[in-house]
Amino acid sequence: MALVPVAAGRSSVLYTFYPPLVGSPWYYLGVALVIIGSYFWIALMLVNFRAWKRENLGKPVPLAMFAITACALLWGWTALGATSEVVFQILPVTLGWRHTIDAGLARTLFSVTLHAIVYFWLIPAYIAYYTLMPQAAGGRLYSDTMGRVTFVLFLVFSIPVGLHHLFMDPEHGAGFKFVQSVLTFMVALPTLLTVFTITASLEIAGRVRGGKGLFGWIRALPWDEPMVLAVGLSLLLLGPGGFGGLINMSFAMNAMIHNTSWVTAHFHLIFGGAVVIVYFAIAYELWPRLTGRPLASKRLACIQLWVWFWGILITTIPWHIAGLMGEPRRYAIFDYSDPVVAKMAPLVILSVIGGLVVLSSVLLFFYVLIRMSFAPVAESMPPIRYALSVNPPATVPPLLNGFAFWNVILLALVLIAYGYPIGQFFFLHNQNAPAYSLTREITK
Amino acid sequence: MSPGNDPSRLDNPWRFIAIAFVSATVVVAFGLGFLLLPRYQGRHAPSSEKDSVYRALGFHKHGYASTTIQPPLRVPTHIAWTETTIRQATNGDPKRGEVIAQDCTACHGEKGLSAQSWIPSLAGLDRLVFYKQLEDFRSGTRLSSPMSAIAQSLTAGQYADLAAYFASLPGLPEDRGERSPRPHSSYRNRDPMQRLIYAGDPKRGIAACASCHGPGGYRIGAPALTKQNELYIDQQLHAFAQGTRANDMNMPMRAIAAMLSESEMRALAQAYANEKTQQP
Repeated sequence: MALVPVAAGRSSVLYTFYPPLVGSPWYYLGVALVIIGSYFWIALMLVNFRAWKRENLGKPVPLAMFAITACALLWGWTALGATSEVVFQILPVTLGWRHTIDAGLARTLFSVTLHAIVYFWLIPAYIAYYTLMPQAAGGRLYSDTMGRVTFVLFLVFSIPVGLHHLFMDPEHGAGFKFVQSVLTFMVALPTLLTVFTITASLEIAGRVRGGKGLFGWIRALPWDEPMVLAVGLSLLLLGPGGFGGLINMSFAMNAMIHNTSWVTAHFHLIFGGAVVIVYFAIAYELWPRLTGRPLASKRLACIQLWVWFWGILITTIPWHIAGLMGEPRRYAIFDYSDPVVAKMAPLVILSVIGGLVVLSSVLLFFYVLIRMSFAPVAESMPPIRYALSVNPPATVPPLLNGFAFWNVILLALVLIAYGYPIGQFFFLHNQNAPAYSLTREITK
Repeated sequence: MSPGNDPSRLDNPWRFIAIAFVSATVVVAFGLGFLLLPRYQGRHAPSSEKDSVYRALGFHKHGYASTTIQPPLRVPTHIAWTETTIRQATNGDPKRGEVIAQDCTACHGEKGLSAQSWIPSLAGLDRLVFYKQLEDFRSGTRLSSPMSAIAQSLTAGQYADLAAYFASLPGLPEDRGERSPRPHSSYRNRDPMQRLIYAGDPKRGIAACASCHGPGGYRIGAPALTKQNELYIDQQLHAFAQGTRANDMNMPMRAIAAMLSESEMRALAQAYANEKTQQP
């Protein structure tokens, strides 16, 4: 339902969530249905989580299950922002019941979802870091507790931070922007914890495999194993991506790069580089289990990951630089004969070449999967084994075995960080602007 | 720890530490953002704690320039597109409008189609456009001696009735509320006028005419121009360029028209007047 208006040119990402511009009502109805559907998923996850705990009294919930439930909860909380925007603001306008829309409120509600949704994508990659990679590398997870703390921190700190997308917006005072900037820095903590834990786990595996010396363990790792290679490359790309993120979230530095293509480059680097590359490796793990046919060539899979890695770098580094030079984002046409814009042209061309490299990697990915689908069925396929930690926990503190306490903390933080920024719109009046659709007259 | 012990003992003292950590972060963040940072905002630093909290909440004191001499305020239009205005402008009765419209035929033609090229056709004109122009004539933000007098003799409700009547007439095209993008209307078009209409001129910072005036675009308060009278369009472009017409909100027309050459204005007017409803 949402895709038809997009394909028909009636709803484009350039304006669908930037009120007072609005797209086709069908698009928003479709999106609303997707979100409602996702709430069923969240409910299922929570029911299963409870059921498992009831049947295994006193035992720690497995890390993978703990993390994916945190992810579901995160989505449940964060989707409230965009859902209220769509249901209470945009749909009444696109259906013709109202003609004006409070763009400031809409942007604020969207910011509730906008940032945490990124962690909703990131967490599955981190789950693979913690639970699949150590096994594939032939070692163990350095610390199970560290994993739990990481996912809890993601749940608590990824929502009350969305105002850092609105640093240049006039509808909020500097105070709350700064508060959320500080809270955003807290989201760097779980990532730093993860980088430490995963590097330690890799070192354990490397030393188990006979690596010696300060860096010898790196060489000893099985880099021909897609999961290990993907996590290694993902960690490398997480570096520049993460530091770019620190610049975006800094209250003052943000001004340099706000709404430039630096931002688009940043999220392509983080999402494409650090997250999707792990999704590929997960697919190489899951596809054989689903089809019962083994991965014929790990080498080809590794080549695909390497091509992707370089493609992402070639795409995003020039893109970042163009952003620093001032290239704005959300532009359809640039006039490259203008002397200011002309300087960015070589960077854009380089970036497009990188995009082609990325595309060739995607084609290779599908080739590997399709070839696998025609391979003979293996006689037996080992089930997915989640990694054990060095000291498998016999008991974990209830704090790290459930979410009730953290939900309360999160609620308090959201009220503190978003209470006034959202509440102000109900006592500030005359904030509405006439909504308009690029393809349809709203007043009809 | 041996099984049978209460595992919630393990939470001590972490529950407290977690709350303390989160609270401390929040307190530090608010202290910095609401009290400390506003004190270091250079010339505009607030003078008291109360002011700095106000600033942090987003309330700004204006009026630093109160001692300097200001030019008189010039308001382009008294219309703002609020929910109330839109409702008023679109709730007219076409029947009542038809009766009043008998006084318009002398200039704007039978059925709203003007025969004189310097007078605009009104048939099919968007209701909001119609309403705004009459209101601007009344308030004097748009000048025309006959129209100002007429507008002053009518009420706002009658503007809406007239708007409803003229909007219902067949004339200016594409007022079905649905305006779809057109094929062949790209930046690569070889015809310079078609390019200006559909893609604008990024070098001069001119937006595409069609993005507000159609075909294929719509903006509240902007009239559809297709099949409008040629001389009228040409004269209005001149009036905007010279500033004798200045009732465009946020002055897009004054800015754009001032950048057009004489021949471009004529060619644009010609292109719109002869525009077919559907291009191949």
